Amino acid sequence: MSSVAAQDHRSAATAPEEAPASPSRRGMSRKHREWLAAGLFLAPDVLGLLVFVAVPMVLSVGLSFFQVSGFGSYEWIGLGNYERMMDDPLFWDSMRITGLYVVILVPVLFCVSLALGLLVKQKLPGMGVYRTVLFMPYVISLVVVGVLWKFLLDEQTGAVNRAMRAAGLDGESWLGSPSLALACVIAVMVWVMMGYYMIIFLAGLQEIPKEYYEAAKLDGSGPWTTFRTITWPLLRPTSFFVLLMSTVAAITGGLDLIFVLTDGGPANGTSLAIFYIYQQAFGFGEYGYASAMGSFLVLIMVAVSAVIFKLTRGGRFDDGE
Amino acid sequence: MLQHGNEAEHPATPPGASRRRFLTAAAGAGAAAASPALLTGCGTARAKGGNLQFWNFYGPQRSPDPAVNAQSKWFVDLVDRWNATHRTQIDLVYLPQPTYLNGFKLPSAFATGEGPDIFLCSPGDFLRYYNGGVLQDLTPHMEKAAVDDFGSALDSRTVDGKVHALPMEIEPLAMFYAEDLWEKAGLSEADIPATWDQMLDIGDKLRSRTTAGLVFETGPGYYQNFTWYPWMWQGGGDVLDADGNVAFDSRATRQALSFWQDAVRHGITPRTLPAAGDVISAFKAGNVALWQQGIWQVSSFKAYAPEFRYGVFKLPVPAGGEYVTTLGGWSFCANAQGRDPEAAAEFCVWALGSMEDDSVDRMVDWCTGAKSDVAPRTTALERGAARGGYDSAVMKQFKDDIFPGGRAEPRYPPVVYKAISDAIQGTMLAGQGVDGAAERAARSIEAYTKSYEGASLI
Repeated sequence: MSSVAAQDHRSAATAPEEAPASPSRRGMSRKHREWLAAGLFLAPDVLGLLVFVAVPMVLSVGLSFFQVSGFGSYEWIGLGNYERMMDDPLFWDSMRITGLYVVILVPVLFCVSLALGLLVKQKLPGMGVYRTVLFMPYVISLVVVGVLWKFLLDEQTGAVNRAMRAAGLDGESWLGSPSLALACVIAVMVWVMMGYYMIIFLAGLQEIPKEYYEAAKLDGSGPWTTFRTITWPLLRPTSFFVLLMSTVAAITGGLDLIFVLTDGGPANGTSLAIFYIYQQAFGFGEYGYASAMGSFLVLIMVAVSAVIFKLTRGGRFDDGE
Repeated sequence: MLQHGNEAEHPATPPGASRRRFLTAAAGAGAAAASPALLTGCGTARAKGGNLQFWNFYGPQRSPDPAVNAQSKWFVDLVDRWNATHRTQIDLVYLPQPTYLNGFKLPSAFATGEGPDIFLCSPGDFLRYYNGGVLQDLTPHMEKAAVDDFGSALDSRTVDGKVHALPMEIEPLAMFYAEDLWEKAGLSEADIPATWDQMLDIGDKLRSRTTAGLVFETGPGYYQNFTWYPWMWQGGGDVLDADGNVAFDSRATRQALSFWQDAVRHGITPRTLPAAGDVISAFKAGNVALWQQGIWQVSSFKAYAPEFRYGVFKLPVPAGGEYVTTLGGWSFCANAQGRDPEAAAEFCVWALGSMEDDSVDRMVDWCTGAKSDVAPRTTALERGAARGGYDSAVMKQFKDDIFPGGRAEPRYPPVVYKAISDAIQGTMLAGQGVDGAAERAARSIEAYTKSYEGASLI
């Protein structure tokens, strides 16, 4: 198969040399026309990335070397903002909370999504409805999610505490205690995101040829052995994607939810780095300092992504598989 | 000839390398030249001209709440009246309050030179705007009699004797209580607490599984600090003393931090606000018995729960303390970097700070009609009282009993606010020791004030 494909590829690559493209009516060769078409197709994305991602990123890094008043004045201070960042206990607290948040959220989200993916892969009546219901939280605005859960977790009248009291348990101040509040944010985030990653896992599971499962069944393989020896290895590219995307989302996302649910409190207990950066920029007008912290956070994110790439070998199958 | 000679002296430069170098240099120079424009948004509002923009969080809008509609109408009428009588036209731009207070629209607009010409500013934000150079001096447009009429209400909006913001209202804090719950617990007016300990006892008596006995603000932010200051002041404490020295680490501060901490620790005060902070709904549903709130709730009760029986009383004091409450309230400001700062300043004074009858009447309408506030001008307060604006028992109590002895909300910049906020949050909700929290905050404020450059913090 592969040698045939390679031959096809070679012949395709050499085709223009063997049969030079005939000039079009405008005098443009086929090769040039293809280049033009490729360029035009890519242009919107490239422009979008340049204007909305690359240029702001470069400007943000530039801004981190300035003392910015928030009212249009800029003063070059070199590494001053980075020095301030190193000495800012609140920033490091926010990084610690972010680390804790990522370390708990990502594995929990991964396991829950995978479990749901395996469940909704079953051929049962009404499965489409279950899939839809599980996916629904993902399409709700995080602000609405925040308001909804704020009421559900209310200390006095929230449904969660009412249910606990009905079961003879004492209610908790879910959003009023620093440790519980972070746990609640993580739980709500899992609830929001699990449907999306469930669909990703489902797509990955459906890619695995049925024949493997049939062969395993004939060999008398049990569910756990089948999962360990067939599903898990063949799901590795999907797992890598989920791991990477959920880690990036955990480091940089969740701002809207924190804003509505806890406002970074209680006692900075849910002040993730991204929230602290937003607060410094738009609450206090410290744009230069916020840019420095933002640039640092991007570096951390790149490093974490690189580690994930390294550990999972980019989600590739093992050699020879 | 000269060019030829030069070419003869530098013949070795290959044309390709020279072009590359030229392009690199041109790109670098272009980027350097473009950076300030890109970072500042390519221009300022002043350069663009057009109608003046008045950003606010009241109107124009339509709401199911009649009080909100009345406030919106006041703003719309105000701008319509100005536009009908002046050449410079003003557009009213409404931003929902959460966006105005915590969103990025207003700060981004100022950062890019596109800030509104006229805007609303709280004392907590005053110094940030002043030090940023965007607050236009309103004094040249004001008569001395008008400045005197505002009196001490201008203190926190004045720098070096110049007025930079005009208050539209004064909003004192008090304790609001549900009369039904009060009576159900066998309490009468004679039981209204005068001291902190008495209030904790009452809160303990009034609380149940679904009713918060005594509510203090729990969310971190300027508002929580604003509601906490009077408890510190009552014991004689302060953030900065009269000379501007840091005085936060004091017995009075620790006492105030302990007060809130004890209230939470004993379960009298909830760790989160009842009904997600919806005051009227929480009172109506019986989820709260006693809540530290501001005068603005009077108009909300009137609009949303006119039949609801509630009462108010002055903030109790600690043993040996002296009564103080905080006086909040927003101001009109003119942007010194806007399209027409002089016209914007003229508008602010015309609206709230002129000796004309219309100006005084407008404030009376705002403070006793559209909203329920104490008027910041003596003439407006007297006229409002003469027109029956403070006849209701609650408003009369606010005007005659609660407001006197009040102190304006301080104008501390973000770093100071954050240090105090962390002390309150840490002790109230994370069980931190009050001594350490007060000391840490004082150290942080001290470090900041040493390098602070700007208008006086007090």
